[in-house]
Amino acid sequence: MKRRTLLTGAAALGVVAPLARPHAATPVKVRWWYHFDDPTASPAGLVQAFEKAHPGIKIEAEGIPWGGGSDYDTRLYTAIIAGNAPDTAMVKFQNQPRLMEMQALVPLDKWISAWAGKSDISDDLWRLTRAPDGKMYYLPLQYVVLYLYVRQDWFAKKNLPLPTNFENFLSGAEATTGDGHWGFGMRGGPGGHDHWGSLVLGNGAKLEKGGLITPKALAANRWFIDLYRVHHVFPPSAPNDGFVQTIANMKAGRTAMTIHHIGSANEMVKALGDAITAVPVPRGADGKGWTDFGDGSNAIFAQSKNQEAAWEWLAYLSSGEANVIFNKLSGQVTVTKSGGAHWDAEPKRFLDATVESLPLAHVLPPTPQTADFTRTVWPQTTQKALLGQVSPDDMMRTFEKLFYGD
Amino acid sequence: MKRAALTPWLFLAPALIATCLLVLGPVLETLWLSLHDVVLFRPQVRPFVGLANYVTALHDHTFWDGLGRSFVWVGAAVGLQFALGLTAALLLNRQFWWRPVARALVVIPWALPSVIIGLVWTWMLDFNLGIINQVGVDLGLLSGPVPWLAQPSTAMAAVILAITWQGFPFFCVTLLAGLQAIPREHYEAAAIDGAGAVRSFRYVTLPGLMPVMSTALLLRMIWVANSLDLLLVMTGGGPGTSTETLPLYAFLTAWSGANYGYGSALAVLLTLLLLAVVIFYAVRSGK
Repeated sequence: MKRRTLLTGAAALGVVAPLARPHAATPVKVRWWYHFDDPTASPAGLVQAFEKAHPGIKIEAEGIPWGGGSDYDTRLYTAIIAGNAPDTAMVKFQNQPRLMEMQALVPLDKWISAWAGKSDISDDLWRLTRAPDGKMYYLPLQYVVLYLYVRQDWFAKKNLPLPTNFENFLSGAEATTGDGHWGFGMRGGPGGHDHWGSLVLGNGAKLEKGGLITPKALAANRWFIDLYRVHHVFPPSAPNDGFVQTIANMKAGRTAMTIHHIGSANEMVKALGDAITAVPVPRGADGKGWTDFGDGSNAIFAQSKNQEAAWEWLAYLSSGEANVIFNKLSGQVTVTKSGGAHWDAEPKRFLDATVESLPLAHVLPPTPQTADFTRTVWPQTTQKALLGQVSPDDMMRTFEKLFYGD
Repeated sequence: MKRAALTPWLFLAPALIATCLLVLGPVLETLWLSLHDVVLFRPQVRPFVGLANYVTALHDHTFWDGLGRSFVWVGAAVGLQFALGLTAALLLNRQFWWRPVARALVVIPWALPSVIIGLVWTWMLDFNLGIINQVGVDLGLLSGPVPWLAQPSTAMAAVILAITWQGFPFFCVTLLAGLQAIPREHYEAAAIDGAGAVRSFRYVTLPGLMPVMSTALLLRMIWVANSLDLLLVMTGGGPGTSTETLPLYAFLTAWSGANYGYGSALAVLLTLLLLAVVIFYAVRSGK
């Protein structure tokens, strides 16, 4: 009988004991989606360091394939619709309008205003990341500004100045074209709107109503198409070339120039050494230019039941040393002033070109049409214009209609 | 009696339930989506639009262009796969000492994932660094490198080449099995009657292979008509829209354009077109 009582008591204790544990002993789980250009890079070290400092929070980091952006975005949208969104995810400015339309985002203003790390991020980045409704839905995490890679040895050999404007860009491209080499590695496949933006939006076209079909804008686009059709300074494969091809051609010594960002600087230097450098993209006669501001931020989703814990994780990732480590993994540039002061991930000339390009940096219009433009409309229409299937002017009219209607 | 009638249905039940869940459910969902204006990033607004998406498709020149390209894609890809597969099967049906190795090697393209095949062929056909251009120029077959995937005149042919390489082992293996089922006595009888190699192929091999051949052709036609992975990896439908077949157009509309309503209507139209082939196959296999 006594033994029976003891067993019953032990069993009862076993059932009740977990209920008696303090609540904090069960960590809050935060699901976070990320993507790195290098699929072998892992944020496991950052997760471990954060969890050590925040024992009440467990981070479940899920690497999601980027697929040029469309794979990642569509997976995110479908996860949100299915009610299975992560608590937080890496996001880009171009998908903000769609996420806002889905009412999927949580404003971060209350956390940002009380955050000690706020002043360590430049005012320019806060301005660029602010949503059209004036609220902050994104917390800056990384950034890049596109610049022009140049084979400085080829330019020196021909006694040419490094390109600063559209005239010496063209003369440089023509002089370095020939004998199996091409002056500029143009990306005609998806994602190539970055190149087009620097060569057309920087040369007179504007992303505003009517701004793509002004005489100046049409002339700039004709000049761009002529680079391929008349001057032949792009490789013949340009209409179908993607990121991998343009970078591979540059590294293999096939092209004299291309446009990308600091994320590829180390592999360029590994292949070409001091022969390669970077300068800001060409400027127009008015001294203005256009280059793409490649943003990367984190956002918290309205579905999340762990928003406070998610914010702790995001604030950590955008702070000082953690942000430096993160950006060495992602191949982009730290958003913190303290981290930028001792940045040594790439040779200095590439960081200099990035910083010098900041005054030219812009983002595409924050509208729901932008994603369709970059994914489908831009590549299809531009490829047709490069191949002579539509005129350069009709190409611009197609873009104008997409963004601003008839 | 009643119980006896029920028994087959009980045995079939697991398969029927799985089919309903995995096939019928998604089909009905696609039909439902095609009757609505479903844009992925506007989940709160999904108005019923009836047949409007279908009417739009019938007035959409991209739909008709994509359909035309689909016919070229299926006709050329299946035709070439069949010709190559039949040739390989006839060769592998002969006796030679390394036949087991050859039979194993021929299956490799079929066993590789489509995405890997797409990437491999993209690099082999690359304008600057591709081996096909390098070898072609070195042997004097090409006057200079050709941007195979960047010009409309060669892009479709280049992707058809890749899918032919991927798909011919299916015909090879299937037809080889068919060849081995033809009784040797038929060939002996034909030889006694004075038939040479050509007549023996025409009057013994082809009729003997016909049931396997037609089934394999029908199945492969349906698979190729639906496939878009190689096109997506190698050209993304470009340059321009020169390799955008109907399933790829439906996929890009739904997945990249986030327009699931219209994309579903395009998919349903494609299904209806393929249904003719499916019915033909079902009637034939029911005989």
